[in-house]
Amino acid sequence: MDFRHPFITNPRIAIYYGLFWVVAATANVLVLTLGNNINVVEAIVQVCAFLLSFAVIGAAIWYVIKFSTLENNSFWRIVIAHAIAATVIIFIWIYFGVVIIKIFHPTPSRWIESQIANRIFAGYALYTIYVVFFYAVNYYNGFKEKLRSEGKLKALVKEAELHALKSQINPHFLFNSLNSISSLTMTDPSKAQEMVINLSQLMRYSLKHDQNEKVSFKQELENNQLYLQIEKVRFGKKLNPSFEIEEQCLSAEIPNMILQPLYENAIKYGVYEATEPVDVKTFSEMTETGLKIVISNTYDPDVLSKRGEGIGLRNIRERLQIIYGNPGLLKISDNKKEFKVTLTIPQKIM
Amino acid sequence: MADKLTTVIVEDEELARNLLKSFLKTMDNIEMVGECENGFEGVKVINELKPDLVFLDIQMPKITGFEMLELLEHKPQIIFATAYDQYALKAFEYNAADYLLKPYSKDRLAEAVDKVVERIRTEGTTSDIADKISDYPREEYLDRIVVKDRHKIHISPVDQVRYIESMDDYVMIYTTEGRFMKQKTMKYFENALNPKDFIRIHRSYIVKVDEISEIQQYEKESYIVILHDKTKLKVSKTGYKNLKEVLNF
Repeated sequence: MDFRHPFITNPRIAIYYGLFWVVAATANVLVLTLGNNINVVEAIVQVCAFLLSFAVIGAAIWYVIKFSTLENNSFWRIVIAHAIAATVIIFIWIYFGVVIIKIFHPTPSRWIESQIANRIFAGYALYTIYVVFFYAVNYYNGFKEKLRSEGKLKALVKEAELHALKSQINPHFLFNSLNSISSLTMTDPSKAQEMVINLSQLMRYSLKHDQNEKVSFKQELENNQLYLQIEKVRFGKKLNPSFEIEEQCLSAEIPNMILQPLYENAIKYGVYEATEPVDVKTFSEMTETGLKIVISNTYDPDVLSKRGEGIGLRNIRERLQIIYGNPGLLKISDNKKEFKVTLTIPQKIM
Repeated sequence: MADKLTTVIVEDEELARNLLKSFLKTMDNIEMVGECENGFEGVKVINELKPDLVFLDIQMPKITGFEMLELLEHKPQIIFATAYDQYALKAFEYNAADYLLKPYSKDRLAEAVDKVVERIRTEGTTSDIADKISDYPREEYLDRIVVKDRHKIHISPVDQVRYIESMDDYVMIYTTEGRFMKQKTMKYFENALNPKDFIRIHRSYIVKVDEISEIQQYEKESYIVILHDKTKLKVSKTGYKNLKEVLNF
């Protein structure tokens, strides 16, 4: 959350705010001098002591709002917080006002006697107006922020979809699979048929523009198992996928197409470069923090390949950050024999 | 042609190998003599069996098809077979007879074999592939150099290369792991290594920028470069200009 004051983040608001109070103060001085026949100096002192000082102190009410947001706190908590804050702020305000009056006003004790109750009441009223105003500003900012991140999220999902589309039907994957099928039609026609069906199913899943950003873990898993099955036909015993999935994970929700790039990487960096079998392991369990998915692949440490955090991993990290607001949901570990990615997908508490 | 073409397949995927074999089986001018699952095996088998023709995949474990070609003592005709179309130009630089894109038909394969037959008939001998490597500047720089060190194949990341010295038809590559000989030209390395990291300082030397400790005047208008390990290398006039340009002095 952004705790900076809107006057700092947006100086224009501060200028409008200042202008508003200057106009209000001038009006007040005019009313007092012309309407109530109070002399000009007295009127200015009064206005400075109470009106303009509230303008300064009132700006601090923002922080009270920020720390007692409507979403995260119960109604009574908010009311009590504001009652306390209002009393403190008004006490300070009155105190300074009285000090100024005592110094500058010609008849301070009479004035205080007749006006103090009024002022306290006015203070609470002003405080209430401020609270309503700031909540409105806050709500508006939150709304704008939400629109912005939603737009960004949509773009990212689209990019991920496009990337998944590209990579699942990327030329190499597709053409190599077709070449395998071409080979199988001579040696094992029924296997060739099975592979054609698998490939079609996978492509259908990829081409289907899933507007829902989240799918069940089961659905996502099945899609990726299909992908691995197809690659398994190509790579034979070199690709050795295994799954250890807790039953209760299957119904968990997960952003769609978030796992495919991980398997693609495992194949690219593990299987492509290997002459020995490579284990691609998937493990998942439900933890307190959500659905935990661990995908790991062994690899040949002698192979020299530049392996940074590629587009695939970065994309996943960004999507998780946007959806769940937490950059730490994707963890990578590499012990030079095994590359391991751990995802934590927060789940709604039932 | 009376003789059959002795043929070796280098391909890491079993199904792709099977397909190619079953296609070749029906062609009466082909005699399969070997098949390999990766480039290491390929080097061994091809140098040993000296086939007329090699079918070669590009993306394979350990070393690529191109890297394998550089290690061959025997130079057969090459037909590439790959799913990647972006290497066609490079294959041409390696003087490939043909470039098959997977999946390919039997007819297309027969066409490629015909080209090889025609080539052998007109040239009399198989052509020398390694000599024809292009001298053109490339879009991508090398990130590793593959060399054959007696019976072992050594893969050196370019980070480990310290400097390169020309030796007639060969170059000697000095790395942090030792030195290796390779049949390549200096021109090739000048183009294949990133000019930000490696400078041609002399007809006989390419040196890695980070290795340079000092540049000393040796005689009037003649300089030497001293490396961190005190090795001294001659600098030519053009070399000095190159040094000035890259090091900005």
